[in-house]
Amino acid sequence: MEMMIYSIVSVKKNTKKLDALLAGIKGLSNTDLYVVTLDEIAAVVSDVNRADLIVDKSSAIEYAGVIETLAQQFTLLPVRYGSVMESTDTTKKMLERNYNEIQCNLLKVENKVEYGLKVFCDSEKLKTELKDKSETEPAIELEQGIEKSIYSKYLYKKLKEHRFEESLLAHIDAIIQNITTHLAQLNSIHRFKKMVTETTIIDVVILLKKNEKEGLIQAVKELQIQYTGLKFVLTGQWPPYNFVDITIK
Amino acid sequence: MSENKILFNTGSLDEISEEMAKLASKEESRLELSPENADSGLAKLVLTIVELIRKLVEKQAMRRVDGGSLTEEEIERLGETLMKLEMKMEELKKHFNLTDRDLNINLGPLGNLM
Amino acid sequence: MNNNVIDRSKDITILELLDRVLNKGVILTGDIVISVADIDLVYLGVKLMLSSVETMEQLKSGRSIST
Repeated sequence: MEMMIYSIVSVKKNTKKLDALLAGIKGLSNTDLYVVTLDEIAAVVSDVNRADLIVDKSSAIEYAGVIETLAQQFTLLPVRYGSVMESTDTTKKMLERNYNEIQCNLLKVENKVEYGLKVFCDSEKLKTELKDKSETEPAIELEQGIEKSIYSKYLYKKLKEHRFEESLLAHIDAIIQNITTHLAQLNSIHRFKKMVTETTIIDVVILLKKNEKEGLIQAVKELQIQYTGLKFVLTGQWPPYNFVDITIK
Repeated sequence: MSENKILFNTGSLDEISEEMAKLASKEESRLELSPENADSGLAKLVLTIVELIRKLVEKQAMRRVDGGSLTEEEIERLGETLMKLEMKMEELKKHFNLTDRDLNINLGPLGNLM
Repeated sequence: MNNNVIDRSKDITILELLDRVLNKGVILTGDIVISVADIDLVYLGVKLMLSSVETMEQLKSGRSIST
């Protein structure tokens, strides 16, 4: 029978604790959860009949709930929703083949949790502000008083747009720099994407020691005071979804 | 999963969820190629790439102009070229019934080029 | 807190959660072969990210995901 795999857990010598925890929770469609263990690591799985498998939002949320519960007591690597292994045997072989890499990743996330920080701007407002600023700067073109052709005028119009875009980007980069500096001071690992949408200045995930949550909240509050025009949203804590650098073969 | 995971936020939750929905739908403009729309799908793909290159050329040209190394004559010619390219592009978009939005592509960490 | 605030917080939490569980985490390749019923991962009338839609489509069509 196939099995749905939820996470790979660092059990060390503590399999009893994991068994006890699993006895109290259920997998998808109210199935029992059990483990496939190899030395110090274990895959948490539940039997699944692939014909009966329902993939929908609530099932994905339920799946994430199992990972969440496990993460409260164990160091683990969350597995992406929808991962099904053929059998106990293939699961075991998979653990064996990737043992070292799994251990490395587990070590990296040990005692740490993930947070997400997104910072949005009102892009129109930001543009207006920057425009006002650039208007006060001396004009760059059309200064010699020579009658320009339509092509030159077109080019200078483009140049003006180009300079504006550059200044907007520079402004945003400075904000990002400031945010990431703040995060780096927390002794965290973080990864970010900038400008994913026009209004998203930064979308960053942060891996932080469990007891440093307050410091993070404080840092975000300080940033907010600096940038009152920006919208911040900090979420967490999450299992380390964004910090598993492993493709399992 | 009913637990609230928001630790801190500024701006109203309505605004934020709207922004996040935009973020999540970011990639909605993906290219759908199928036997039924092979023609228009291909036009979209090709024009997207052409537009990308045109924008890159334009950016590069602006850097040169900004550098101040070009003569009046060069500026004149460059302006003419870029303007004609833009006009040609408009024609093509019209011809294939495509809007700027259709030709928008996501460059991942670089954001939207257009 | 009124109900709207609670709903919104929940929406945001769920969106963050789905982004993670559908797009992030360990990817297992090789042994995955699933076929499933139709899915509807619509949030606020909006499609989820490209990769999640594609993940779902792969699941849906029962194709195996391989490297």
